[in-house]
Amino acid sequence: MSRAKQFWALLQMNLGAIPQRLGLVCTIVIGVACAVGVLVSMLAMGVGARREALANVRPDRAVLRSVDALGAAQSSIAKDAAASIHDLPGIRRNAQGEPIAVAQALVFVQARNRANGEQMGFPLTGVTSGLVDYMPELHLTSGRMFKPGLRELIASNNCARQLADFAVGDKRNMRGGEWVVVGSFDVGRTEGVCNVFADADTVLSAFGRNTFNQIGVMLQSPATFAELTSALKANPAIRAEAKHESQVVEEGMQQLNGILNFVSYFVGSIMALAATIGAANSLYAIVDARRRELATLRAIGFNSGPIIASLLSESILVALPGALLGALIAWLLFNGSLASPFGASFRLAVTPALAVLGLAWALAMGAISGFLPAVRAARVPVTVALRST
Amino acid sequence: MKYLPLIWAGIWRKPGRTTLVLLQVALAFALFGVLQGMKTGVDQAIANARADVLFVAPAAFGGMPLPAAYLERLKSIPGVKGVTFADGMLGTYQQPTQVVYVLAIEKNDTWLTLAPEIFSVSPKDLAALHNKRTGVLISADIGKKYGWHVGDRIPLSSNVQQSDGSATWVFDVVGMFTAHEIGAGGYIVANYSYLDEARTLNKGTVRNFYALISDPQRAAAMSQTIDAAFANSSNETQTASFKENAQQQMRRIGDLNFAIRSIVSAVLVALLFSISTMLMQTIRERTPELAVLKTLGFSDRAVFAMVVAEAVVLCVAAALLGLALAMGLFPYAAKFVPGLSMPKVVIAAGVIGAVLVALVSVAVPASRAARLRVVDALAGR
Repeated sequence: MSRAKQFWALLQMNLGAIPQRLGLVCTIVIGVACAVGVLVSMLAMGVGARREALANVRPDRAVLRSVDALGAAQSSIAKDAAASIHDLPGIRRNAQGEPIAVAQALVFVQARNRANGEQMGFPLTGVTSGLVDYMPELHLTSGRMFKPGLRELIASNNCARQLADFAVGDKRNMRGGEWVVVGSFDVGRTEGVCNVFADADTVLSAFGRNTFNQIGVMLQSPATFAELTSALKANPAIRAEAKHESQVVEEGMQQLNGILNFVSYFVGSIMALAATIGAANSLYAIVDARRRELATLRAIGFNSGPIIASLLSESILVALPGALLGALIAWLLFNGSLASPFGASFRLAVTPALAVLGLAWALAMGAISGFLPAVRAARVPVTVALRST
Repeated sequence: MKYLPLIWAGIWRKPGRTTLVLLQVALAFALFGVLQGMKTGVDQAIANARADVLFVAPAAFGGMPLPAAYLERLKSIPGVKGVTFADGMLGTYQQPTQVVYVLAIEKNDTWLTLAPEIFSVSPKDLAALHNKRTGVLISADIGKKYGWHVGDRIPLSSNVQQSDGSATWVFDVVGMFTAHEIGAGGYIVANYSYLDEARTLNKGTVRNFYALISDPQRAAAMSQTIDAAFANSSNETQTASFKENAQQQMRRIGDLNFAIRSIVSAVLVALLFSISTMLMQTIRERTPELAVLKTLGFSDRAVFAMVVAEAVVLCVAAALLGLALAMGLFPYAAKFVPGLSMPKVVIAAGVIGAVLVALVSVAVPASRAARLRVVDALAGR
């Protein structure tokens, strides 16, 4: 009998005998399901956060910051540089023929949480004209746009949900002056994020500043990005570099994702190791219970190679449903539920990619746990095993 | 006592299996220990944070910093014992990715005791800092990261411009401080006078003040008093005690308890199933031996107790091993959560948990062992 045939015969025999060893097999399935379930649920946080952050990203938007700035807060672009950026090539023009380039001044303002009165900050962005062309996903749900030169602001609906005094018509005190909320808006699919916009010059003068943090531009097409960057390089006086919007968002996510991934893989690895040890133990018990059977197989001519392969396949095939079960439980319990670690706020996303990752872990767990028991099975001393009772 | 050798022999009947169970249970409890240790570390950090130090910051970041002249006004507020301040700037060492935060402080002994849980410095090092204008104190972590030693001269590039036009700030390492920060090795401590005299912009401003108050009970009221004093000025403040800030920061990390409880329950579920099937398998394999014991005169109750004792001893030993392993991991994990610790409560909870796991998973196997009928068992039925 060829080795392949032997393998198939053995595998069918192994799988057929599962109902007789339901307890041990269930242990493996549940162990793998718990490990994969925890890993997938925790990674779903990072995936959800990323999905949320990238929801409104467009390939034809770019952000200009000063060279080597770590983030928006460390970047500073002078007013004259901002003006010369307007004339760079590759930038789309609006219906009036003006380039769509919005200079932004960011300020982080303290406010109070609406529910419990705790301190919570919100980002206030002072923007130059063209916000509506730059952010087509922004649509006012009530009120109107702010007027240049006045202490007026518009806030995303999430601000009103989280923070006190953010409804249209509410007045807020900032920098010794009274600001009025004149409009509230939604931006595409992003949830939970509070964004506040006001006129750039008003923000700069009220907060005692004379430089912008960054300039957002709408490109003629994603391909004109190269044109823009080469024009920036040719004009070193501007001292700014352009990045795709997606890159800026990814960079901003790095720290949060780093922490989330570290915790997820740390906890997931320990649980996977424990589950692997448990599975190995169950497989040893299965092999021990089948000593005579295995010895008989060896005696009638089965080779050790197919025996090892069939047992390894069995342990992997038992682990895979565990992974599916774990991913399913994670999906049922946590998909779409709101998480707010480290001040961020997003919905967990249990994606098919995560389920595949869980399957890959289960594959590894099955292979590792099955290896030593399989080798032992192939090494059962035939005469001893047949003679013993 | 006479049962001990029997229990011991029962545990080690199959050394391979026992070792694996031991490892599995130990791993589960190591995870429990680390997670609980993290939680108690966080709780203790909040409990230890000083309620009598108020952090006075601008109400808006990104705008003008606070004027240093607020110092005198803060000192004059009744109930304030002392005030100091700090400023800072970001620099990079050699590469744009090697970011170093320079914390600039004034000469004030308050720093010796300001926040011992996150920052401690000896009087000698503090004096050394103030005796050299360009001096800095470094932590052991950052020294190791960049190979800095006391006596070294370190150049940092910064966007903060100096009046001589240079973009490079030069500091002399004069001493050490001890920091407990997340992602250790992020900052160094310099003289405020050096920073403020050398820079061109924002002269005479500070990042924040620290106000020491005489009555920690009145922290919230004092915070409001301070904010009210500067309300409607162009430099409004936002004041909160260290304790309040710590509490808010931890709430912001998210519902730690929920995550820990979910993970621990998943671990327990897997563990219970695993151990109970293992014990079941063991009892099945030992049926003839147990029957022999009964034939020799051991009562049903004695057999039951022996099987239970085996499981409890195994689980408790494994749990203790796991908790010890967790403690071994703490110095590493402390880089992410400062102040990890394992109080006796966690050890006790772990041991009680281990006993419960053992009792629940052994219940069925042990009662089966106790109910064995000698005749059937010996006949192999």
